[in-house]
Amino acid sequence: MIRTEFKRGTAELAVLSVLEEGPLHGYEIGRRIEEQSGGKLRYTLAALYPLLYRMEKRGWLRGDWETGETGKRRRCYRLLAQGRKVLKPMRAEWADLFRAMRRVGKVRHA
Amino acid sequence: MRDWQQYVREHLGSSGLGRAEGEDIAGELAGHLEECYEAFQVQGLTEDEAFLRTCEQTGNWSELRREVVLARQEGMMADRVKQLWIPSLLSLLISWTILALILWVGMRPLIWHQGPPWSVIVYVPWLMLLPFVGAAGAYFSRRAQWTGWRVYFAGAFPALAMACVILMILPFSFIVDPKVVPGLRFASMAAATVSWVVLPGVALCIGVALQGMGKKAFR
Repeated sequence: MIRTEFKRGTAELAVLSVLEEGPLHGYEIGRRIEEQSGGKLRYTLAALYPLLYRMEKRGWLRGDWETGETGKRRRCYRLLAQGRKVLKPMRAEWADLFRAMRRVGKVRHA
Repeated sequence: MRDWQQYVREHLGSSGLGRAEGEDIAGELAGHLEECYEAFQVQGLTEDEAFLRTCEQTGNWSELRREVVLARQEGMMADRVKQLWIPSLLSLLISWTILALILWVGMRPLIWHQGPPWSVIVYVPWLMLLPFVGAAGAYFSRRAQWTGWRVYFAGAFPALAMACVILMILPFSFIVDPKVVPGLRFASMAAATVSWVVLPGVALCIGVALQGMGKKAFR
């Protein structure tokens, strides 16, 4: 499992990336990230929801209350144009970071 | 059946958020925990085990409460700047620029004279243009999703700023020139208030109201 200090910075990219695939509610966002990271990235509510609210305030995504097939009301998040716009440079930044760490930290692909 | 809404409310406590906002957040977090709990039960965990595992998903409640409030406030600060202060300062800047241009061109004001201290000074072209300034302030404020009195605040800000200036000058006038009879002083202040606050304020508010009506008509 990856340590909390490492995970903290990854959350923005992870959330935006899973929302790029389509609208999801909070639980689904967390589950998808966990699933796609092979269980390595798991965010608590304390990490996930404040981040979602921040991103919503920045205009990167929008949350709307919707009633699902089960009749339960869930807040569904959608990626907005502003969010798509920041995703590309964010990915490039992470790629730069990985390249740099591979050189400096002698990190190799597993 | 566990009441997750109640569970979240108990742990989140009074977070310093508004009631509706707090309920909204509690509802969302409760929904998340409910789904976790159901997923653990599907995996074959007993009710108690599922409950314990679900509670672990929360992390630290005090951290959650603090972070949620900070996240909301961060937005509020940014919103307040966009919705209130930028439109207000823009309307102030435009109105003073127009007034400065009028003075620079040398246009004479209309003076309504009622005895020595009581003279209302009106720059008619400026007053005629102020509804447009108010409308501009209101437009920027409404564009940033602001509504109600705040839009009027942004649109009428030049008049409010002048009211503040007059209020600040009044106590100083007693120190600078103490010989002047208070009645005369208050009369001249009242005249200045009418000239620079009341009349411009009305003109600006007309602009704000017309902008709002125009926006509704467009929809």
